Amino acid sequence: MQKQGSFDSDRGVLDPTVPLDIGARSQRERIVEAMIEICAEKSFAATTIADIVGRASISRTTFYKHFVDKRACFDATLDLCVNELRSVAGTSHDATDPPAEAVRKGTVAVLELLAAKPALAQVALGEAVTVDPAIVERYRDLLLPALEGRWLSAGESLRGSSDPRIAFGRLQILFFDQLAGGRVKQLPELRPEIVYIAVLPFAGHEEALRQARLAATEMSSDAGD
Amino acid sequence: MTDNADDLRRWRLPRGRHGLPRELVARSQRERLLAAVVRVTAAKGYEGMSVADILEQAGVGRQSFYELFADKRDCLLAAHDVLVDDLEATVAVALEGPQPWPERVRATLAAVLDWFAANPDATRVTLVELAAIGPIARERFQDSFHRFTTLLDEGLDAPQVPAELPNITSLAAGTALARIYEETVWGRTSDLPKLLPELTFELLVPFVGEDVARSTADGEVT
Repeated sequence: MQKQGSFDSDRGVLDPTVPLDIGARSQRERIVEAMIEICAEKSFAATTIADIVGRASISRTTFYKHFVDKRACFDATLDLCVNELRSVAGTSHDATDPPAEAVRKGTVAVLELLAAKPALAQVALGEAVTVDPAIVERYRDLLLPALEGRWLSAGESLRGSSDPRIAFGRLQILFFDQLAGGRVKQLPELRPEIVYIAVLPFAGHEEALRQARLAATEMSSDAGD
Repeated sequence: MTDNADDLRRWRLPRGRHGLPRELVARSQRERLLAAVVRVTAAKGYEGMSVADILEQAGVGRQSFYELFADKRDCLLAAHDVLVDDLEATVAVALEGPQPWPERVRATLAAVLDWFAANPDATRVTLVELAAIGPIARERFQDSFHRFTTLLDEGLDAPQVPAELPNITSLAAGTALARIYEETVWGRTSDLPKLLPELTFELLVPFVGEDVARSTADGEVT
């Protein structure tokens, strides 16, 4: 499986013995996992350091060795969630896939990850926006160039006339609605619509419909690769 | 401080001197409070405003407030419900008519954009500030959002729904909402009606494709 996160990756790669920081790493992972669980259960605002250290079975001192405060811990947690989503999208398709295919496969993989990890979805898509509304712009600035880049790097011209920012807005509302209704696990059911939204601005209505059709008929799980 | 504001109100609006039936007084007080909570929340934000602010804006006494509402959140939610009812009625009226469906969508969007532009405080409160009241805001959002998707669903003719996209109306309603939200956050509510061609196009594309969406957006009646 892929590496768990992005932190401490420069340590101990070729070292046959147990890395010195293994205890610290697992502590940090436990803190982050606790943060995800508790935030999803009771919101970031209601989450206390005591909740986190209790759930992670660490001391308060240990918590503060890793993070200066609750917000810093949340930010690190969010980075990990985003990295996990990006990594799943990135490994869901082959380098030779045409852009619309790649976007379809990436979208389906992300939806399945969110459905499989509802707490992660709640934190990355719900709580994050409450904690820092500007996160929405950060997401947009990550997502739209990444999607557009598929077509540009494949040397294909952009054929859509729909505004990508509208696509992002549609996704925002759709995800918010699903989260608010407690239907995160049903997100994969919306894969035709979400694939359509992701493809439309870059390849146009007909191609977006074609990908939506493919997404609907594809079996669940990332069986493609 | 809050007591001072109260005293000022009592001095200005003496009780029992208007000779109106009690229910009528309560109703007009309720309306004044609802209007006041929207104004005050738009100006100060949900966290920043207090019951005292609402009372001062409304010219209503503290006791009357608590006869009608449990707290500021309760009052704001009641105002939200009234606003959503009003917008829903606007949408329902605009969606009716003999024109082809794409044109009715355009007319509906025009009505919605006009409604938001005409009610900047209400727009800010329902779209932005409501989220601050906590988890119950999500429920209200859901309820309201589904009232509008239901209206859109009911207005559709079956062939307009592409087989590939069974949940298409969520996309449609989301198109307008996300854009209106963004403009509201930027304080550009009054410019919303200018977005009519763009939003008509975006809303219609998934249903009818780019060509029909474009001509409807440009107002070319075929």
